[in-house]
Amino acid sequence: MSALVQYLITGISQGFLLALLATGFVVIYRVTKVVNFAQGAFVVFGGFITYSLLGAGVPQGVSEVLAVLASAAIGLVFGAVTILGKMTPTASLITTIGLAILSEAVAMLVWGTVPLTFSGLSGHDLHIAGIFVQPQYLLLIGASIVVLLVLWLVLERTYVGKGMTACASNPYAARLSGINVKAMGLLSFAIGGALGGVGGVLITPLFPITYDSDVNLAILGFAAAIVGWLTNPGLALAGGLAFGVSEELVAGYWSDANQTAVALALMIVLLLWQSHRRQQVEKLV
Amino acid sequence: MRFLRSLTGANLPASVATVVIGAVTLILPMMLNAPDLITYVTIGLSTMVVAGLSLLIGFAGQVSLGQGAFYGFGAYAAAIMALHGWPPLLALVAAVAMTAAIAGIVGAVLLRLEGHALAFGTLALQLIFLSVLNQTPSFTGGAVGLTSIPSLTIGPIAISSYRSYAYLVWVVAAAVLVVSRNITRSRPGRGLRAMATSPAAASATGVNVVSYKLRDFALSAAFAGLGGAIYAFFLGYISPDAFPVMLSIEFLIMVVVGGLGTISGAYVGAAAITIISQVLTAIGTAPTLPPQLPNVLSEGVYALLLIALLRFVPDGVVGLASRITKRLLPTRWRPVAGHKVAPAPAPGRVVLEDAGSPDHDAAAADPGQGTSPAREALSRPLTSTDG
Repeated sequence: MSALVQYLITGISQGFLLALLATGFVVIYRVTKVVNFAQGAFVVFGGFITYSLLGAGVPQGVSEVLAVLASAAIGLVFGAVTILGKMTPTASLITTIGLAILSEAVAMLVWGTVPLTFSGLSGHDLHIAGIFVQPQYLLLIGASIVVLLVLWLVLERTYVGKGMTACASNPYAARLSGINVKAMGLLSFAIGGALGGVGGVLITPLFPITYDSDVNLAILGFAAAIVGWLTNPGLALAGGLAFGVSEELVAGYWSDANQTAVALALMIVLLLWQSHRRQQVEKLV
Repeated sequence: MRFLRSLTGANLPASVATVVIGAVTLILPMMLNAPDLITYVTIGLSTMVVAGLSLLIGFAGQVSLGQGAFYGFGAYAAAIMALHGWPPLLALVAAVAMTAAIAGIVGAVLLRLEGHALAFGTLALQLIFLSVLNQTPSFTGGAVGLTSIPSLTIGPIAISSYRSYAYLVWVVAAAVLVVSRNITRSRPGRGLRAMATSPAAASATGVNVVSYKLRDFALSAAFAGLGGAIYAFFLGYISPDAFPVMLSIEFLIMVVVGGLGTISGAYVGAAAITIISQVLTAIGTAPTLPPQLPNVLSEGVYALLLIALLRFVPDGVVGLASRITKRLLPTRWRPVAGHKVAPAPAPGRVVLEDAGSPDHDAAAADPGQGTSPAREALSRPLTSTDG
């Protein structure tokens, strides 16, 4: 029983990390129709930059905020490289793959190949349902909820958010009504970067990350985003939680080595279901 | 010269280049020492994989990040069958067929969705492949891999020396290139090209988009499986370490360097990246340098090449070279006029037909330039070129 609770808490925390990544995929895809392969790199940079700032003696909270801002800036640059100018969808996709490899090279050069971590929220472990839980898990869950809620408010209630939604539903009409579609695309990349940065800042104290953590993170985040058809943030959140929890349960009750393979097989099944659904839609049309 | 042109179907510079490359390719194995022969064989094997992937990206507009897995699957399938007593040649053929079948199954699902689904799906396939290899030591040798794989024998001839592999690989690579070229100039090839420009227009003119993409994908996997199977016989041992995710990305970079959808680009890209990677390793492994430097260098250079080429030279080295030679050469040696200046063809005759210009290959990578093949397809009936 206590093992199950442990797996659930770890799984839900992982799930929120995946949800942050998946939301980044969704925000960027909706506005630019680009699937950003380099999404996992934002997590790595968020974690590593915090680590370096803490090492330089910057206070914890300030380091974390600066790391998130830096990730947003990296996202902005990635967006500029990916969407500015005349790029075909295939070229954009391959460019983001290039950016992911470049990020790995930079991370390896600056921070080396050893897994890095830093201490998160201090305080005693909390006693929940018969097990002890590090407060950082609760911080990860709580902060993710707040970030996703704020993002939802921004997208639904502000002028800029509505502009992004307009670009998502009809870029041509959005441009005609005076919205700068490219600027909105860049903004979406910055938001994607910030979301990944938040994930990196929160997860690194719990699970040390390495320069090459980004591939697994990107692919699992994509899998979660696929649950929401890459456009629905709510379903992407549900997908993130489902993948996070099922991964932990597989690791806990079966084997560590199988967890990623099982999650990826699940993703392929999801894609199968989607393609089946699409065929039925085509039949109806 | 007429003969050369008809042989290569291309312009004079390209014909000369083909003959020179062919001659050098044949003479080189006699002059190289063992380590260089391995590089030479590796380039040939990569050429096979890259030719398939180039067809897939340049024509079907689909990116696969799992070619390394197909390469590995071909290697493991051939090795396991050969170790169980199958004649090596039969094992090779069966391995290629199995690789194509796997791609067919996966592709049937993923190719109905947008391009990114195949990219992530094939990457997932590669990670699952590596995980399965490590989990099944009794069958695949696990992390250690398989050793003492027999040499390839074709009838009574046993191919065992590096030099004989060098010739074998290049015969096969040349065959792969010829098959690829013929496909791009056949009706399916013209359909694929139309599809790359506008799937909707192609579909409207009667191109079965999903079926063409699926066949393209299965073929690209078969080429990768073929390269992998020969690799297994050539080296005699294989392990999961030989097929990392980075291998798939290297194949992708080779395609972009050579030029999306250009057949000769497969050879150029494979050779360029294989040689660059060896030079970078040589630079990075000098003493007193940090141990991760070779990886930093190669990944950094690959990434920058990928990003810069896509933005500034989307038709790759081959496209760039053909543009430069066109500008420099005297008029009478210039390539046969491409279809921008070609006189209007007779109705119903030149539907999606090849005008013998390398521009054509590049058109898939850069739909913004020249006449859109799909538009041509719309203006004339596609069926009239059949038969």
